[in-house]
Amino acid sequence: MSVCPPYAPFFGFAGVASAMILSTVGAAFGTAKAGIGIAGLGTFKPELIMKSLIPVVMSGIIAVYGLVVSVLISGSLTPEGYPLFAGFVHLGAGLACGFTGLTAGYAIGIVGDACVRAYFQESKVFVSMVLILIFAEVLGLYGLIVALIMNSKVASGFENLCR
Amino acid sequence: MSDQAAVGKLNTNVASSGTLFKLVAFSLSLGIVPLASYYASLHFVWDGNSTFAAITAVFAANLVLVIYIVLSILDDRQTQQSSPRLSPPESKKER
Repeated sequence: MSVCPPYAPFFGFAGVASAMILSTVGAAFGTAKAGIGIAGLGTFKPELIMKSLIPVVMSGIIAVYGLVVSVLISGSLTPEGYPLFAGFVHLGAGLACGFTGLTAGYAIGIVGDACVRAYFQESKVFVSMVLILIFAEVLGLYGLIVALIMNSKVASGFENLCR
Repeated sequence: MSDQAAVGKLNTNVASSGTLFKLVAFSLSLGIVPLASYYASLHFVWDGNSTFAAITAVFAANLVLVIYIVLSILDDRQTQQSSPRLSPPESKKER
C-alpha cells in the first residue's frame, strides 16, 4: 500500500470539478428563480429593476466562490508525487465548497423571488431583503472557509510525503 | 396623454442605456476581478501562499457586490429626485 498511488489525482480532480459544478448549480437556480420575480416586476415598474437585480449578483458571487476554490485546488495538482492524503483533502475541500454553494444559491433564489415581489408593493422591504440575502450568501462563504482550511493542510508542498 | 407617454418613454430609454452599460460592466468585473486579484496577489503580495490569495479574491468579489449595491441605491435616489419635478404643475391645477 503506497502513499502515492497513481490513482490519487482522480480524487483531486473530482474535488476541482465538484466545487465548480455544484456551486454553479446553486447559482443557476438562484439566478433563474430570482429572474422570474424580476421579469414579473419589470413589466409594472421598470425603474426598480436596478435595485432588484441584487439577488442575481449575489448568485453570481456564489459561483465565484466555487471558481476560486477550483482554481486554488487545481494549482497544486501534479501527475507525480501526489499522495492519496492530498487527494482526499482536495476532494473534501471541493465537496464542502460545492454543496454549501448549492444550498446558498437555493436560498438566494427563493428569498430573492419573494422579496422582489414584495419590494414592488412596499419599498421599505429593500433593507430586509438585502439582510436576508447576505445571511444566505454567508452560508456559501462558510463552505469556502472550510475548503481553505482543509486545503492549507497540503498547501505547503507534499513532495516529502511520497518518500 | 401622448405627451406624457413620450416623455416617459424618453426617460426610460435614457435610463435603460446607462443601466445596461452598468450591468454589463458589473457582470464582466464579477468574473474578471476575483481571478485577476487571485493571481496578482499570489505572485506579487503573498509570495506563493495560495490561501491568502484566495481570501484576497473573495474579498475583491464581495467588494464588487458592495459597490453594486451602493450604485443601485444612488441610481434609485436619482430617479426619485427627477420624477417629482413633473408634479408641481398638477398641484396648481388641483387648487
